[in-house]
Amino acid sequence: MNAETGRAARTAVFSSNSTASRSFWQRLKRQKYPQLFVWIGIVYLGVFHFLPLFGILMAFKDYSVTDGIGGIFTAPWVGFRYFEEFYHDYQFGNIVRNTLALSLLKLVFTFPMPILFALMLNEVKLRWFKRTVQTVSYLPHFISWVVVYGLVVVFLSGESGMVNHVLMSLGIIREPIGFLTSPNNFWGLAVGSAIWKEMGWWTIIFLAALSGIDPAQYEAAQIDGAGRLSRIWHITLPGIKGTIVVVLILALGSLLGGGLVGSNFEQAFLLGNPLTADKSEILQTYAFRMGLAQGRYSFATAIDLMQSVISIALILGSNYVAKKTTKTGLF
Amino acid sequence: MRSKSAEDWFVDSVNYVLLAIVFLATFYPFWYLLVVSFNEGMDTALGGIYVWPRRFTLENYSTFLGDPKWIKAFGVSVARTAVGAGLGLFVTSLVAYGLAAKQLVLQRFYYILFIIGMYVSGGLIPYYVILRQLHLLNTFYVYVIPTMLNLFFLIIAVSFFRELPPEMEESAKMDGASEWTVFVRIVLPVSKPLLATMALFLGVGQWNSWLDSAYFVQSDNLRTLTFRMIEIINQGNVPLAGPSGDIASKVAQVTPFSLQVTAMVIAVVPIVCVYPFLQKYFVQGATIGAVKG
Repeated sequence: MNAETGRAARTAVFSSNSTASRSFWQRLKRQKYPQLFVWIGIVYLGVFHFLPLFGILMAFKDYSVTDGIGGIFTAPWVGFRYFEEFYHDYQFGNIVRNTLALSLLKLVFTFPMPILFALMLNEVKLRWFKRTVQTVSYLPHFISWVVVYGLVVVFLSGESGMVNHVLMSLGIIREPIGFLTSPNNFWGLAVGSAIWKEMGWWTIIFLAALSGIDPAQYEAAQIDGAGRLSRIWHITLPGIKGTIVVVLILALGSLLGGGLVGSNFEQAFLLGNPLTADKSEILQTYAFRMGLAQGRYSFATAIDLMQSVISIALILGSNYVAKKTTKTGLF
Repeated sequence: MRSKSAEDWFVDSVNYVLLAIVFLATFYPFWYLLVVSFNEGMDTALGGIYVWPRRFTLENYSTFLGDPKWIKAFGVSVARTAVGAGLGLFVTSLVAYGLAAKQLVLQRFYYILFIIGMYVSGGLIPYYVILRQLHLLNTFYVYVIPTMLNLFFLIIAVSFFRELPPEMEESAKMDGASEWTVFVRIVLPVSKPLLATMALFLGVGQWNSWLDSAYFVQSDNLRTLTFRMIEIINQGNVPLAGPSGDIASKVAQVTPFSLQVTAMVIAVVPIVCVYPFLQKYFVQGATIGAVKG
């Protein structure tokens, strides 16, 4: 904020005798190129971000894709018919439960991991070791969920997967574990693969926060006789508390998308299959299947809209709680 | 230097062991892919291969390179990555440069509009209807046009351009340089850290993308590498699937599994080659992005 006003004041001083005295139109003419550049962006924004907002009307109308864009406005109103239909769908309970459960489980289990990992890396004195582990740890962030799906199949599939193979030959299990085929394993698979993929990436920001802690504090604590673990607990953790809260709020804001690690849709779509649908079908995948695969556009839009409404409620709710408890909020 | 206490020894050993496990859990899967891709497919099926190929072969790769379907998919992925990242880089920095101009009329209004755009979405179906209306469905453009402006990087780029010393631009303009020349000849060359980070993320995003190939195109000529991978993984994943015909039986030693793994290696290698070099840039970028929220 301060930097912002400072800069404004500086430019104002600089230009008080030339630009400010010119009329509005002269100014506009002089900056026609910057204006043109911005308007390229505004047109894009209108077409790909704001125009689809009108499409939400489809949820309340009997829309057919052959109607084109105009059909969004001319199609007959049907009120809440599609919401009711979804509410009476036999899968409704499962889908809403899966959406909320997957999001909450991922938040609870994936959020602490990068913090722990950052604390562990911070204790390492061997620079090459720290650097190697860290560099490798964020490689998975850059690869496609499709490749992660491939890896899951290679390592965890029923009979041919390496993990089952090794566990069976060691005599630890008799039957292969159906990581991909048993519905009860789906949530664990989603949480585990999300941690594997994104833990290293989110560590970056916590490590940056850790590097801002004053080393003198550690020396003072050491002289006072504090051991390693007590220094981590009393100096390191409080030192990054602010960052932890900010990142937590970010994670809560995108809860239904999968929080920090995102990708609820990709996971449910790629790692889930008809065998695990009881636990893997979520609002997003269901809307997707109904809409694009079956061509039920209005029905799918209604499901999408429900997801957005729940999302907004969660964001406002978590922001409210965050403001009350920590005095830090997003807005 | 004070000597290590018992607690130090304990904490250090546990820490190093745990970190070594994290390292292996991340590194080994990739290593294993590499090993299997260089091992005869039929031999891999017998099991027991963990750290080194048992029967070394290049046949998996030659099958991949000999199959027009895979080559085509690879080409489409390369093309969309180059064109998509290039276009995204250009448009995003151009709009950001305009938006960062001093005393821009309506600047605040524009800025708020872009921020709102970042958070609202009409959902998948309305988006699909728009793509259909624009006749982008089933064309190569559907990969690169909707991604030509990245709102997240737009905001980052605006704050980057604002930090540039104004004297640079002013002196160039006094020498008679046009706005366009200033942007291309002066602003872009001094923004390399920003452009490198953007290029990395936009490129990786293009390379990894699969949903648009699965649902916005039908033509076999437009399928991406990621789409073909899903196809072959699903084939192998269905326990009772019949022989997959076209790919599997061509070369006896190559199995759908070994071909799938080879495709995965080919999808990962470009990323492994690029990201370590850009590390210092994106570490900065990620920190800025997260701090600014």
